[in-house]
Amino acid sequence: MFNFNPLTIKQFNRFRSIKRGYFSLIIFIILIIFSLSAELFVNNRALLVRYNGEFYFPAYGDIIPGKVFGLDYEYETNYRELDKIFHNTGSDNYVILPLVPYNAFETDLKDNAYPPFPPSFEEKHYFGTDKTGRDIAARLVYGFRIAIFFSLILLIANYITGISIGCLMGYIGGKFDLFFQRIIEIWSNVPYLYAIIIISSIIIPSFSSLLLIMIFFGWISMTWYMRTATYKEKEREYVLAAKALGASNFRIIFKHIIPNTISIIVTFIPFSITSGITALTALDYLGFGMPPPTPSWGQLLSEASEFTTSASWIGISVISALVIVLTMVTFIGEAIREAFDPKMHTTYE
Amino acid sequence: MKVKIHLLFILLFFSSVLLFCSKSENEAIEENTDTGEELALDYSTHELPQDINWITNNNYKTFASTEARKGGQFNYYINSFPLTFRTVGPDSNTSTRSYFLNNHMSLIDIHPNTEEPVPALATHWAFDKDGKTMYFKLNKKAVWSDGKQVTADDYIYTLEFMRSKHINAPWYNNYYTKEIDKVIKYDDYTISISAPKKVPDLWLRLPISPIPKHFYGRLDKDFVKKYNWKIEPNTGAYILRDYSKGKYLIFERKKDWWAKDLRYYENRYNVDRFKLIVIRDDNVAFEYFKKGNLDCFPASQPEIWHQKGNGGIFDQGYARKIQFYNDTRRPTYGFWLNMDRELFKDINVRYAFAHAVNFEKLNSNVLRDDYERLHTFDTGYGKYTNRKIKARKYSIKKVEKYMQKAGWNRGKDGIWEKNGQRYSVEITYGSPIHNPKMVFLKEEAKKAGIEYKLDLLDPSTWYKKLVENKHMISFMGLSGGGLRPSPWQAFHSANAHKPQTNNATNTDDAEMDKLIEAYDNSVNANERIKLSHKIQQRIHDICAWVPLYQMPYTRSFYWKWMKVPNIPGTKNSSEVFGDPGGVSIFWIDEDEKKETLKAMKEGKVFEPVTIIDKTYKAKN
Repeated sequence: MFNFNPLTIKQFNRFRSIKRGYFSLIIFIILIIFSLSAELFVNNRALLVRYNGEFYFPAYGDIIPGKVFGLDYEYETNYRELDKIFHNTGSDNYVILPLVPYNAFETDLKDNAYPPFPPSFEEKHYFGTDKTGRDIAARLVYGFRIAIFFSLILLIANYITGISIGCLMGYIGGKFDLFFQRIIEIWSNVPYLYAIIIISSIIIPSFSSLLLIMIFFGWISMTWYMRTATYKEKEREYVLAAKALGASNFRIIFKHIIPNTISIIVTFIPFSITSGITALTALDYLGFGMPPPTPSWGQLLSEASEFTTSASWIGISVISALVIVLTMVTFIGEAIREAFDPKMHTTYE
Repeated sequence: MKVKIHLLFILLFFSSVLLFCSKSENEAIEENTDTGEELALDYSTHELPQDINWITNNNYKTFASTEARKGGQFNYYINSFPLTFRTVGPDSNTSTRSYFLNNHMSLIDIHPNTEEPVPALATHWAFDKDGKTMYFKLNKKAVWSDGKQVTADDYIYTLEFMRSKHINAPWYNNYYTKEIDKVIKYDDYTISISAPKKVPDLWLRLPISPIPKHFYGRLDKDFVKKYNWKIEPNTGAYILRDYSKGKYLIFERKKDWWAKDLRYYENRYNVDRFKLIVIRDDNVAFEYFKKGNLDCFPASQPEIWHQKGNGGIFDQGYARKIQFYNDTRRPTYGFWLNMDRELFKDINVRYAFAHAVNFEKLNSNVLRDDYERLHTFDTGYGKYTNRKIKARKYSIKKVEKYMQKAGWNRGKDGIWEKNGQRYSVEITYGSPIHNPKMVFLKEEAKKAGIEYKLDLLDPSTWYKKLVENKHMISFMGLSGGGLRPSPWQAFHSANAHKPQTNNATNTDDAEMDKLIEAYDNSVNANERIKLSHKIQQRIHDICAWVPLYQMPYTRSFYWKWMKVPNIPGTKNSSEVFGDPGGVSIFWIDEDEKKETLKAMKEGKVFEPVTIIDKTYKAKN
């Protein structure tokens, strides 16, 4: 069904041979899968509760009120406390808690001490808490999930718009090209970060509205590259041949031109992902991103700037997380660029 | 070539249109100034009625210290440079305005401890039998900062100025028309001011602050633009001497200020100059303070007081801390439930909301027990405060009782439900400073079955949403009223279901209206106190305003060379070290400053000092 051409296979092998890029990609994919199933690793709901011979799986689905487990409240069971109660009573009831038994929203507070609390293995706050007592590990994981999917959706939407318009500009040319060039020139002169700040101070930004605003301004950059590439490819013999065979414009663009410009698209992808993540983080940092209490790296960063010395763990964990993720993506990007470098495949004599 | 010629034509056409436009606009302005408004005000002299019983209060205890020394420069910061130096008109309502207004004295001042009138620009005052007029004898020494005398004409001119459409300030236009009827001149130094009708506590309303007639003269349409950056002459101790736009403001004390020997102004206004540096970020400002570039730093917020006030300069005794309990009118921090929303029409649902607010745990776990519960709407008004009212406490049992009474059931996610509607509320607020509190309360309310959706907006958007009645619940505190409760604006039905009013709960209650009208129309102090108590009880019963917290003190960090009297503030002090032109009584000890700086170089340390003063702590 899907036949890779030898060149693609060669490129892929070349990519695999660049170890740091290849491993970064594997780790990155694992991270995404892990963040998708984060409820099983980082959650205040237990994975499994055995109570009076019955099994409960609270991690997904409706809440189980405390009454079900013989506690005296009707709101959601506090499984960490339940675990302690079962331990102390010594019954054969038990609770299996996730690795980090906190979610990204709950405030874990103590008497006579005030957050932010430093990292503690005993309390399973592996990275400590932020200034409202929320677990930093939990906020990092859920924040990552939001950031990465934000930037992936942004990337797809931007590329679909950017590539189609860019290709059309290059392929149709003439007045159409001229018209869109001017539009894009004007569009790209709008300082888009400011525009986002202004818009998001008027409406309450949410995941989808923020995404829409960013797409609104973000599709431009891809058009230039695609326009140039299409101009070049259009004049090649294979396009002329396809035309001579009577292929439709649609077929020529999508079946012939785009696959031949794929190296341009692919090399840009990792960098677009990083820019998506940093843009969202920057907006959150400035307070114009997702509304609180959405877990976000930018919000953690702004707390870090508030507690530079007194609670260094906030800064250390969020900055390390950012550096690691962004470096990995850069490694992937570098490896892809090298793998697609035509100099590896052509020899000039 | 053809294209170029076309372009040239288009350009020519546009520029001619522009020229034409600007010309016609100029003409319009000129025309308008010709037919400028006529505010017929009477500047003629009248005969003073006989048997006037002049009063002056020159016997109250002073509150400044005789040990105070004059001199030095006080360095402080502001978050943004003012958009204009005008104190009225567009963009003038900024946080820096008080630095200008504090140096505009009024006819009489209010003693901050006794809350009684004391002489200022007037030496004596008197009440007319009609219950709406007051007489004032002006101090003949009073001069404007440019040397001109302050006379009766300036007070008459104040009405002309404040009523003028050219100042572009509808609130002032309205206030000086509806609250003040006329100013009558008896001679250059005797006037009377009248209200349109009998009102309680005349002395709180009528003593206006004069506007310099010789400086403004006849106003025209250009007022707003013309006076943006002009320094208006004033009568107070300080005047703006130097500034750099966007960077700083420097105020200087007048060399020979006319009022320096008045009883209640002695030993105050001690620093020679004060510099307000623009620092946008409070964290950065704290770094300035740590270096000694700012003389004090406001530290009322728990995070600042507890987290920043340790180690370093504090342990070495170079910087000190002060916590000063005051007993003044508290901002009404709480949740304002919009009763125009279907959900809040049921009183049981409102009661349930109130019982789902966990103040106790918030205070002990997040706010470090630094706050106290706010119980009633008008807290800090002395006898006018109804101390019997106690705010509703967190109780899941009570929430359940009220919700079941209203016919709601807990849904699968633990949130109350009725006919497919969930008890999910949107809470709008305008500052990220409230995030930790809201995040905590959200989790506690969830246990009681109420879901908060937090809606943090930027302050202007939040305000817009509020005044357009688009909020569901707004978290905020109103402050800035006068010495007496003024419930009309926030709870009278005349302001309900309308945009641009302060009735954020849309309270529309016949009994409340009756009480407020009686309160506003009564001139008998005892009766007004009783009515005020009843109004507060009614606010509590309606439960559309759910009180949260109050902070019964003010806290600051300050350098060792900043000195305060034994009682560091007054009953009404909102800060110990604030605007030197306001009611502040601190001074700078220049010798000690040199000594401290020398000690810092040599590594010599002092005893750490934290002052906690409870002189004015309210017993509740």
